[in-house]
Amino acid sequence: MNGTIENEKKNHRIDRRPIVTCAGELEVFSPIEEALSNSLPSDSCEWRRSLGRPVRNVRIEASFNPFSPAALPKPAQWDLIRKPLFHTYWTECNDVDLYKTTVREDIENWLKELSSREITDWLIVVVENFDGKRAKQLIPRTTVLDKIRADFTVKQGDRCISVINPGKAENKTAESWRGLVGRVRHLLLVAYARAVSRLEDYVRYQREKRNEPGWNFMNYFYLQEELAQVLQMLGLHDEALVQYDELDALFSQCVTNFSASNTAKWLCHFQRPLEKWHGLKLTTCRLEDSPSLLELRAYIFARQAQMLLSLKKIWDMASRCLPFLYTCVRELNILEITAPPGALWCWLFLASMEVLQACDKHNQADQVEEYSLHTASLWMYASQNLRNLAELCGLMPQSVPSSEQLHIVVSLSAGMGDNPGSGSQPSPTDRLKEVLCSQEAFIKTYLELAELAMGTFKHIGRLRMARLVGKEVASFYLLLDQTQKAAAFLGDAVRTFESDGWHELVAQTQVALADCHKKANDINKFVAACAVVSTALEMDTLIRWSYFDEMTKYLNKLDKLVNLPFNDIFKIHLVRVVGDLTMMQGDNLIVELSLESNFPKEILCSYVSLALGKEDQPNANIKYNSGKLLTNKDLKWQDPFLQRLKIEKILDYKQDKQLASSGVTTSTNVFHRKDSALALKKTDSSMTLEADKLPVLLTPGMNLIKLNRRISDIARYYLDYVDIHIDNLLLISPQLLPRITINVCEESPSVRLYKRAAPLISGIEQVMNLILTIGSYLIEPKSTIRLTSSPGLYLRIDLDQPLTNNLDIEIGDKPTFSSTKIPIRVLADLLTKEHQVTIHVPWITKPTVVSLSFSTPMSTTWRLFTVVHRKFIQVNVVGHCVDNLLVQGPDLKMKDVNISPKHTVDSSLIISNGLSYSFLWELLYQETSLNSIKTEFNLQYKLSESDSYKLYQYFFDITDYKTLYIVDAAVESAKENEFCRVGVVCHLYLSITDISPNNCENRSVMYEVLAEQNVWAVCGRTAGVVSFNSGSSDNQDVVLDVMPLTSGYLPLPLVRISKYIPAEQMSTEKNSKFDIQPKLEPFSSGQVYNKSKGKQIHVLATVSEGNS
Amino acid sequence: MAVCAAIVGKDNSPKYFCCINPDEELSYQYKVLSSLDIIEERLNPANKNASESKELFLGHLYSLETCKLYGYVTNTKIKLIIVVNAMNLTLKDNDIRSMFQKIHSEYADMVSNPFYIPGEPITSKLFDSTIKGIITGTV
Repeated sequence: MNGTIENEKKNHRIDRRPIVTCAGELEVFSPIEEALSNSLPSDSCEWRRSLGRPVRNVRIEASFNPFSPAALPKPAQWDLIRKPLFHTYWTECNDVDLYKTTVREDIENWLKELSSREITDWLIVVVENFDGKRAKQLIPRTTVLDKIRADFTVKQGDRCISVINPGKAENKTAESWRGLVGRVRHLLLVAYARAVSRLEDYVRYQREKRNEPGWNFMNYFYLQEELAQVLQMLGLHDEALVQYDELDALFSQCVTNFSASNTAKWLCHFQRPLEKWHGLKLTTCRLEDSPSLLELRAYIFARQAQMLLSLKKIWDMASRCLPFLYTCVRELNILEITAPPGALWCWLFLASMEVLQACDKHNQADQVEEYSLHTASLWMYASQNLRNLAELCGLMPQSVPSSEQLHIVVSLSAGMGDNPGSGSQPSPTDRLKEVLCSQEAFIKTYLELAELAMGTFKHIGRLRMARLVGKEVASFYLLLDQTQKAAAFLGDAVRTFESDGWHELVAQTQVALADCHKKANDINKFVAACAVVSTALEMDTLIRWSYFDEMTKYLNKLDKLVNLPFNDIFKIHLVRVVGDLTMMQGDNLIVELSLESNFPKEILCSYVSLALGKEDQPNANIKYNSGKLLTNKDLKWQDPFLQRLKIEKILDYKQDKQLASSGVTTSTNVFHRKDSALALKKTDSSMTLEADKLPVLLTPGMNLIKLNRRISDIARYYLDYVDIHIDNLLLISPQLLPRITINVCEESPSVRLYKRAAPLISGIEQVMNLILTIGSYLIEPKSTIRLTSSPGLYLRIDLDQPLTNNLDIEIGDKPTFSSTKIPIRVLADLLTKEHQVTIHVPWITKPTVVSLSFSTPMSTTWRLFTVVHRKFIQVNVVGHCVDNLLVQGPDLKMKDVNISPKHTVDSSLIISNGLSYSFLWELLYQETSLNSIKTEFNLQYKLSESDSYKLYQYFFDITDYKTLYIVDAAVESAKENEFCRVGVVCHLYLSITDISPNNCENRSVMYEVLAEQNVWAVCGRTAGVVSFNSGSSDNQDVVLDVMPLTSGYLPLPLVRISKYIPAEQMSTEKNSKFDIQPKLEPFSSGQVYNKSKGKQIHVLATVSEGNS
Repeated sequence: MAVCAAIVGKDNSPKYFCCINPDEELSYQYKVLSSLDIIEERLNPANKNASESKELFLGHLYSLETCKLYGYVTNTKIKLIIVVNAMNLTLKDNDIRSMFQKIHSEYADMVSNPFYIPGEPITSKLFDSTIKGIITGTV
């Protein structure tokens, strides 16, 4: 703090320290004057002010003058501040007598002088030379100090102070010295404060008069500045700044009103041509008498800047600079102050540079942000002014200064004055002079400033401003023929404008870019830029035409493919998939594209295609369109930040299903950047849809293009982007989002084995159909289908092939989606029913199993018939074929037994489905023949005339065929020669004859009468056992009673006989403990011949019935 | 009276631009575009002063030697910008504020028009003449 005050002290034009007068023994005071004036500001002191302003701690200084009554202010004078404020009387007298004689009178006179001017601020200081001995001898109230107190300061005890001469014994005087300094400081401040408030009042009073004629700003300025300086002296830089700000504002207001009212005559004083434009100096400044507007303004700004710097508000100062400069420019205009050309630019440049230099000095690593924020636009302003100057003075690249311009330089340099900087850091004036002298220096300086402006703008994120500077710089580089650098800056600008959607600016910048590329002879980029310009709707049609013509002229000179995003050149309005979104492999995918061409004329596109992308699985980050239509609206890029949030409610339930909490949630949007720079992918030509007819002529406005391609690979595709070739110019659309996806699926080949309408019959070779359907893709022609049949089933294709269990069929060259019928001949072994065919196909590893059910062509039954001893075999054949079966040659073969056919054997027979045919043979057997005969029935059959006969065989055994018993029954009326009548008991004579050849053993036969219950009633026993003993009679007769229940010819009751095995015999024979019951065994059909079968008896109605 | 007014959408693209002197339109476009930097700065939530205030009028954005730019942001982040000639000292902040409020209400009416597609540049001639009226102070 002290340091800055010391610094600023140098700058004071006017010493604003309060004046303190010294009276009395000046020789006493002079040795301590320096010490006193140094110690006063060493500590702060509270300053209490009127009007409720806050108490401030200030440091006060003083300048000491000898007392002179002439210099004393008059009462009620406003400028007390410039007058002696505080008065001191110094005496070293320590002799009371001496005091009484001289000093007392002197003080009286002094005080009289003061009070006559109504001055109350005074202090009497008694300096005592420290003397330990004497001090002790002193009697209280007898010192000079006491006397003075008693005489002058009875009421104001603080107006008199003693101090031990500090010059002599340092140690012990410190305390008394501090007391003195504190007392002086306090009293001085009180006096000063009064003076300041008097000044403030006066300033206020003067300001109120500002609209009166004759008021002069400059006079008022000096007055208020005095106040500011006072405040500054007190260390109140912020309050001093307020004073300058008020002056600044007042002046601005006056100038503003000047144009309106023209009352302020004093302003005319400023309306003189500008002669000097010395650079702004922040450090040392002095206001000339009768300053020019710029000088006054610069002075006020410099003072403000000084205050701000003292307050460490460097960035405030920087931010005030531009408005200050603008104000100056504006006020020069309002006051119509003329200046030589370029003078103002010089001054503005110098001022900005001065402030920037000051900022640089204070810039620290941790303040770069602040620094950049406030200096960026200043750098830009400086560079602009410099460029203006350079244009004026012919310093721009490609121009040579004329003699007139050289003259301007000289006069400008003269007007700047001299302001030499230090060796290491040249002052802005030095720099500007140097720059004005040399084109090279100018270029270097200008670029340096502009780069700094851009850099600082970028640093604080003001990209758009940086781009504008970049545009300026680009035009400069263009003059320097550095087209590459210029193109880089312009390209950046285009990108920024584009991202913000300012199309007109994009177009304008593209024009510059096109010119730049043309200058650089970069045909590729030139054509691209021309394309953009010619399609910019914001541009004038004539300009668009001329750039279009340029583009077409250079199109064939392109040496390589030039990629260009669609942007506004073409606009896709509609994308529509014709057909289904799910399609078969090999189908044509057709897409309709509605494209708006913004070229001003028709253009011939050599190739138009739509790229397809393959997609393995849906990407969660990408939006999809479920339909097959994308309209303008869908295609529009939507900023995810601007989308409506999808808000859903959340309800949390407790375990008991009560609501625990509720809230809303939003699924976070996926943030992704707008794809401004399209990543150009390699276009795989197999994955693009091509336009029907090439080349395509696109007219300005809407064009409908049909694109198609046959898709052979199975995948999930999406429509990716469109590219349009105009010779070597390749225009690429942005990705078509939301995505339309197309599923291309395959149909795999299939093989089926079908039987024909008729059921399958074993034993006959029949034809089945193997149907091979080729799906959406081709099958290797060499590959084979293998049919494997279960045992007993044989397959072949042609009659001349052998029947086999494994059949291989070569697929052959079959087109897709074709179906082939392969007849397969199958033959199942006769009498087998269930079969399987396993089909192995090359495209699936898992075989297909086909179950086949066969039925036999015919079924056979046989029966044995007995007539006493004669035996007949009947074989009954039933056909099962839907078609007629041709049979011939029925033949029965028996071992050791002769047979004789009892049927006529025709050459061939036809057995239709379900019909039967019987053959009959008599067995001519011997007594010696075996009880069991193996019999074989053979029959030749075929299904159609053309077939050859096949052998049908049927095997069966005939057992127990020989007749053992003959059963005979007869019913007779109980009365002789009478007819049987209903309800009358008749006799049933049962005769069982044993004719078995070996009747050597005991045989028992049980008979049972099985009468039909509504016809016959058996009275008494119905069954019985008869025995045939060896040697006894072969015939057994039994008589039973039966009663007919109905009249008419009734069949006799059926009698069944069974072999009866007595219980005892069985238990002994088989040693079975359980089988104690007698057992019946039936006879086989051939063993018993029932003679009475078929016999009938005539039963008459009852007599009573008949009679009645 | 202002010399230029612009309506800039949420995405910073111009929706409407009017300039009293059509020859200067391009140069004002550059200026208005660059003022978006400052509007964005002011709207930056990190900048506490901006986010706390509910005031739509952003006040003075920045000055150039020839002109001053003022900003206004609706709650839906539509930016209104007015350019005033630097020599024009009669227009006070409050005048500009009321100008903005008028434009805002005109804009609101425009957006309510069923024939206007939100987000598209405004081409209505009536709107244009009303806005011109507002900025020239004749409405």
